[in-house]
Amino acid sequence: MDQAVEVKRKDRKIPVGPEMADRCYTCGTCGGGCPATGLVPGWDARKAIRAIVFGMEQEVIDSKWPWVCTLCGRCQYQCPMGIQLMKTFRACRTARDRDKVPGPIHKGTMMNLERGNNLGIPRDDFLFLLADLGVEMENDEEQPCPGFYVPVDKEGANIITTINSKEPFGEPDDMKFWWRIFYAAKEDFTVSSTNWEGVNWGLFSGDDPAWKEQVGRVIENARRLKCKTILYPE
Amino acid sequence: MDLLEEYIKSGRIKLNTHKYHETFTVHDPCNYVRKSVMIYNDSPNNGEKCRWIAQQCIDPSLYREMCDDPLNNFCCGAGGGAWAMPYDQERLDYGKVKVDQIRDTGAELVIAPCHNCRDQILKGLGAEHKKKTPGFDMGNYQETLYLWELVANCLEYEPWSQEEIDAAHAARDAQFERDGIELEEE
Ligand code: SF4
Ligand code: SF4
Repeated sequence: MDQAVEVKRKDRKIPVGPEMADRCYTCGTCGGGCPATGLVPGWDARKAIRAIVFGMEQEVIDSKWPWVCTLCGRCQYQCPMGIQLMKTFRACRTARDRDKVPGPIHKGTMMNLERGNNLGIPRDDFLFLLADLGVEMENDEEQPCPGFYVPVDKEGANIITTINSKEPFGEPDDMKFWWRIFYAAKEDFTVSSTNWEGVNWGLFSGDDPAWKEQVGRVIENARRLKCKTILYPE
Repeated sequence: MDLLEEYIKSGRIKLNTHKYHETFTVHDPCNYVRKSVMIYNDSPNNGEKCRWIAQQCIDPSLYREMCDDPLNNFCCGAGGGAWAMPYDQERLDYGKVKVDQIRDTGAELVIAPCHNCRDQILKGLGAEHKKKTPGFDMGNYQETLYLWELVANCLEYEPWSQEEIDAAHAARDAQFERDGIELEEE
């Protein structure tokens, strides 16, 4: 015999309000337009939302689904019932034990909290690299930029820019694109010597306190250096 | 994106539109286009701005549209931290939708205004295309560029004056002294 499924809202790990998952009328718009449909056996956006409605959120949390979903937001943007799918799937990530977060994004987040960037690049190495790249740009064969250097911790600069740690780590020349634009525009910019990371993995690992902490640090840098504008160079 | 637009509109940077002669298309990163509109309701949206900036760099007649509605464009497949996650096959399979879109534009260059999307399209999908992996045929595709890479490569530089250069050198030397940086002389 079928059993009635009874779900108490307050027992839920994922806070879905009645204006959220409960309203789903299973139209399938979300899963239909989602490139992740078919990638995780047994799951797609609609099924995950239905499972949460039926109180099976732990199964969603334990599944790969919320991590293969890229939180692109297309389903949420399209859902005729206004259900916040993307927000819900991110909440599923949050509900995972931290040691079960796949890949380096949790470790990187912890690294960032401890050392100011996701990859743990030491301050001195970073400053030396910026200095070196500045000299390279000044003397560049194809397009020299006489007078260029990377201003660090410059008080009162117009723009303070964050750095994506993959660049100093593995693709340092890619930082020059923005610097060349600044050079041509004669922009008064600066980079902070600490906590310069511009990639917030706390956002993706579902770690709200770390996410907020990192945003706070970027703002704190701008305050300390009295910069008017923060640029995430993307 | 706003900053680039402002530099170009105000004439603070000048661009040479004859550097590239390839057909090009623009990808819409979820974070800067759709999600930005979902949160800030920005108008014009960043997808439109990006198309405009790219067309200041390359002749607009070479532009090939990927998606008429930037707000409903598809994710590159590496969003939400997926580039760093251990689910590579899923990430690539997700990207097949993007592969098809790029092939259908017929464009040779893809402009991506996001670090993550650029890596996925260049090193993920683009690499599979070049290896001729079945399912990853991107047609005429040759190269992915950051939006700011495209702009930087098209810059027309106005030379700095000697005073500006001297002032910058003095400021740089003071900074190196403060931070204890000693570069080897070449
Ligand atoms: S689009 Fe919305 S209403 Fe339709 S199945 Fe998905 S969550 Fe339910
Ligand atoms: S947010 Fe996730 S579930 Fe929704 S369309 Fe994007 S990948 Fe699919």
